[in-house]
Amino acid sequence: MADTTNGGAIVRLENIVKRFGGAAALSGASLSVKRDSVHGLVGQNGAGKSTLIKLLAGLHRADEGTVEIDGEAYDRLTPHLVEELGIHFIHQDRLLVPTFTVGEALFLGRELRIPGTPFLDRTGMRRKSAEILARYFGLSLPQSALIADLSAAEKQIVQITRALIANPRVLVFDEPTAALVRREADLLFQLIHRLSAEGITILYISHYLGEIVDICDTVTVLRNGRDVATLPVAETSATEIGALMVNRALGELYPKPDVIPGEVLLQVENLALAERFDAVSFALRKGEVLGLTGLVGSGAKEVVRTLFGLDLPTGGAVSVNGETVFSADPAEATEKRLALVPEDRRRDGVALDLSVTENTTLASLDRFSRGLIDHGSERRQTEDLVKRLQIKTDGIDALVRTLSGGNQQKVAIAKWLSRQSEIYLLDEPTVGVDIAAKVEIYRLIGELAERGAGILVLSSDIEELLGITDRILVFFRGRVTRQFTSSETSPDQVLADVTGAHETLRHAG
Amino acid sequence: MATAFLSSLTRGIGRYALVAALTAVFALFATLAPGFLSGANLLSVLVNNFALLAIVAVAMTFAVSAGGIDLSVGTAIDFASFAFVSLVLAGQPVALAALGGLAGGALVGVFNAVLIAGIGISPFLATLGTLFVGRSVQQLLTNGGNPVYLPPAGVPEAFRFLGHGTVAGIPVPLLLAALVIAGAWLVLSQTRFGRVVLATGIQASVVRYSGIRLSRVTAANYVLVSTIAAVVGLILTSTVTVYIPSSGNAFLLNAIGATFIGTTFDPRGRPNVPGTVLGVLLLGVVANGLLLSGLNFYWQQVGTGLLIFSVLAIGFANRKAAARA
Repeated sequence: MADTTNGGAIVRLENIVKRFGGAAALSGASLSVKRDSVHGLVGQNGAGKSTLIKLLAGLHRADEGTVEIDGEAYDRLTPHLVEELGIHFIHQDRLLVPTFTVGEALFLGRELRIPGTPFLDRTGMRRKSAEILARYFGLSLPQSALIADLSAAEKQIVQITRALIANPRVLVFDEPTAALVRREADLLFQLIHRLSAEGITILYISHYLGEIVDICDTVTVLRNGRDVATLPVAETSATEIGALMVNRALGELYPKPDVIPGEVLLQVENLALAERFDAVSFALRKGEVLGLTGLVGSGAKEVVRTLFGLDLPTGGAVSVNGETVFSADPAEATEKRLALVPEDRRRDGVALDLSVTENTTLASLDRFSRGLIDHGSERRQTEDLVKRLQIKTDGIDALVRTLSGGNQQKVAIAKWLSRQSEIYLLDEPTVGVDIAAKVEIYRLIGELAERGAGILVLSSDIEELLGITDRILVFFRGRVTRQFTSSETSPDQVLADVTGAHETLRHAG
Repeated sequence: MATAFLSSLTRGIGRYALVAALTAVFALFATLAPGFLSGANLLSVLVNNFALLAIVAVAMTFAVSAGGIDLSVGTAIDFASFAFVSLVLAGQPVALAALGGLAGGALVGVFNAVLIAGIGISPFLATLGTLFVGRSVQQLLTNGGNPVYLPPAGVPEAFRFLGHGTVAGIPVPLLLAALVIAGAWLVLSQTRFGRVVLATGIQASVVRYSGIRLSRVTAANYVLVSTIAAVVGLILTSTVTVYIPSSGNAFLLNAIGATFIGTTFDPRGRPNVPGTVLGVLLLGVVANGLLLSGLNFYWQQVGTGLLIFSVLAIGFANRKAAARA
């Protein structure tokens, strides 16, 4: 609510109230985006970010409050009107029809025509899109390529290009890096700087506070449907922003109990998978939290998959509790009480159209059935776990689709608690999870360790790994190149090994 | 408040719409068609228009629950029928021949299981292939599709029991249908197997990532589908004392229709046995009512088509209402 006059604000939402049924998603939120600025918008899931954005996109209508664009108040925005006003949206994974070609997707709904005729100007469209692609991305995409065949980054490029064709004045990026790898994200940040320099105003929504601090001028923090602060980024920090989001001190971010590791649960010796990783050896003990990290393709993820029986190793041995495992399928791995919480939770971790109960007991139905399923004990188990993991849901019969990302992840973990697993393989457990749920997942990992489980956490968030693990193994080009004791290590040291800085030095020397 | 009430009302409609539709159709024909409400006619609807189709549709419900389909249920019916007749002709005891018939039908399921769970062909294409192969096999076995009759003198009384017998006054086909319906409901909604089948249909990769042997469940499911369908082969043969090659396919489209009617009306859009059974009743009542109304036989399919269109329309309206809520 910094400037209430029209002091250069291109988009101004004032005291917006929006109710769905009885619940208010927004209860007096304001957002004022200055012309030519890069404005960050952050908040936990449920804080009202997406409602506010949908309102700006003309997809929702405010119950109360005013919407001004360029100083002019609009009572009723429609998606079409918003585009005409020059405001365009880049969503992470929506709005592109997979069966369209690049060319069709770029100009859908605003095809160029040969002047004076109803015919499509294919040459003109091709020239215009090629020009933008070359100018901003230094690349060319075949116009005939199918959207479905593009990578996440390429899809985003198509979306941005589509927006740029329309000469936008405001670009809204909604969680743009969620599906990108680090290098692609860096390219996106460069692009945003450039667009901003060219006079396009940017509104940037993200879970990643680091990104906000890196690229934004101003940040607005939403909490419980209100804006709790709008700050110049130069005068704040990621820690302060995070604390504002959750309304508490960030010192409690990584709860880690002191557990003295016990006997060896999982022993991996010289494990190899052709062309993926080689000579991987380590032991995981009772009560231990072991971190794995590495770049995409470093082999860390493939090791986790292989341990769970999703890939067949080409060499080496794995034993659980001293017993050798020949696991070529997940069924055998789960019988040895291994559990995998996969990275792509919406595809592999939880069934979105099954209920919380059905998901929770899916891996442990034998415990609840003597011929017929004992619905009573199934429900009791689920209710216990929902309470223990603080899963926020409309009830244990609600479809998992209706839960937030963090709560879906808790259901994916609950499934294995119900199975009474001993060894937990967690693959990027907090990606796409809001900060409050992250802390709860960290606490749960600690609790599992206290109860004597062994936990393997694969993550590319190094600060997270240092905060919650005992040891970290760094993978580089298919091998474990370094081991760290988490409590004695700084993020920079780990990062150097992750990116192979030492490797290059060694090769050079 | 008002919207909450409306949305609860439309949700309620979703759940009971099938019963309501059935009642409406019933009332319609009770006024239009003389004799529709007579006890004899209703019994005939149950035996002729309901019992056999219900069994096939219940079998189909298992396939659809797992996210697949079985276009070869007719083939399973035919193989069961052929095996049953052949064994009786060969002088085997009827009970043994009936078991042989079930095995004959199950064989079709084993073939499907190998294609779908073993090789990984999509259920639609795999069972379509089975349908064609099955047709050829039957033509080869019967000199180009000649019916296999049981000589009237040689039909054991026990053989006719499945099609014509009664137990405590209830026709055996109806009794068998009731048993299959009850058993299928139990398996699909109350057992571990049923839950896993349902989960497979909803999101197969999660089932695999949960440490469940997906291909085993899928294989067992397709064998089960064919075995249930085989029961119809036995009843059919017993009723008409003849095996007519490829006659089982007559049930295919209605079975699919009934299953999807039941799925459309489920609040969560899940295939379910009670919904399928109501779908079969709806189809059966419409067919019989149209017949009794004196409408030309050839118009009956139009009636069935209209029924399915209206079901889709209601289901669509329901889902839109649910999405808005």
